[in-house]
Amino acid sequence: MGREEIEHLIARVALNDRAAFEELYDRVSAKLFGVCLRVLNKRAAAEDAMQDTFVKIWKNAGRYQANGLSPMTWLITIARNTAIDRLRARKKGHQDIDTPGMELVAPGPSPEQSAIAASEAGKLTNCLDTLPPDRSAAIRGAYLDGETYADLAEKFKVPLNTMRTWLRRGVIALRECMSQ
Amino acid sequence: MTDLPPPTPQEEEEFLAAEYALGLSEGDNLTAAQDRARRDAGFGARVVAWQERLVSLTDSIAPVTPRRRVKKAVLTSLFAKARVPLMQRLWVWQGISLAAVGMLAYLAMPLLRPDQPAIAPQVFATQLSGDVDDLTVLAVLDPARGDIALRRTAGAAPEGRVLELWAILPEQAPVSLGVLPADDAAHVALPPELAAQVSMITLAISDEPPGGSPVGAPTGDVRAVGAVTAL
Repeated sequence: MGREEIEHLIARVALNDRAAFEELYDRVSAKLFGVCLRVLNKRAAAEDAMQDTFVKIWKNAGRYQANGLSPMTWLITIARNTAIDRLRARKKGHQDIDTPGMELVAPGPSPEQSAIAASEAGKLTNCLDTLPPDRSAAIRGAYLDGETYADLAEKFKVPLNTMRTWLRRGVIALRECMSQ
Repeated sequence: MTDLPPPTPQEEEEFLAAEYALGLSEGDNLTAAQDRARRDAGFGARVVAWQERLVSLTDSIAPVTPRRRVKKAVLTSLFAKARVPLMQRLWVWQGISLAAVGMLAYLAMPLLRPDQPAIAPQVFATQLSGDVDDLTVLAVLDPARGDIALRRTAGAAPEGRVLELWAILPEQAPVSLGVLPADDAAHVALPPELAAQVSMITLAISDEPPGGSPVGAPTGDVRAVGAVTAL
């Protein structure tokens, strides 16, 4: 499904076009529901997250163009962040993670920059495999399971500060691998 | 762990952006990252780039069609609200001032002339507002007379730009109703083909270069939007 088509639908949703909103829902809901289910593991919770996700999409479509993300990234990131917020809401000390377009107001990268990031994105999986296994597992756990530093530190039985150092080294190595 | 050189400031930046995109920032780190993402375009761009990279972790997630009721729930939760009667929206939602409601009544008065036939003409209205700035415009639509009365109650066009009014019907491209004059009050014509479907119209105001959009579709920010309701 074309990037331009989705962008066009989001632009119409920004004008409160309900028909465009329904069409956008029909086009992308299966992917977003897959993501919510992967994060939350339970259908009822994933359905609730979907509802929040699409309300956010409706309300924030007008800010989409300003944030520089490709349309599917924007939509999936909203779904992923919403699902993880729900997952963490059950835990103590919950903090919302920012969904782009809602909090991120500084102008995003130029289209060329985000194209570069998108072309690098294909390398992520391979580059993750070059990291020590526990570090790549930590990055996946944070992104797909919403694990916090405390969760990760407990899982890998290391102090919290060590966990953050792992992540720092992991991210820097990943960045280097992906830009090659 | 082997002794690696401490990260360079640039590497640390990269890490803070990735940490934020991963949702790992906590406490003061989170506040600082949120603040920077808002104000520092360079940092914002790094965060966006990480979001773009990380999203490929969802590539292998298979799509799952949600049950039909999910879509229904989404539409109900969004649009049931939009159908709340205008007065209730004005008071509860927008907290609009008494003076503005008086103005709305005043604007609607000539449309509700008592010398009209016993069947009162149906009049429609909406309040247009947005989250770009405080621009607020009241609109009263009279399909029988093909007229839209507008009253700007707050905000103005940005410097060097004009405000253009658009009518949007479901599944159709926005139709320009013209550039609004700088005055607070204005009348614009409601074309018959739009008047026939007046209850489905959403009005929107975008900022455009002087003279209006050169391409016949909104090119600037959409600054105010309102779905039309029967008055």
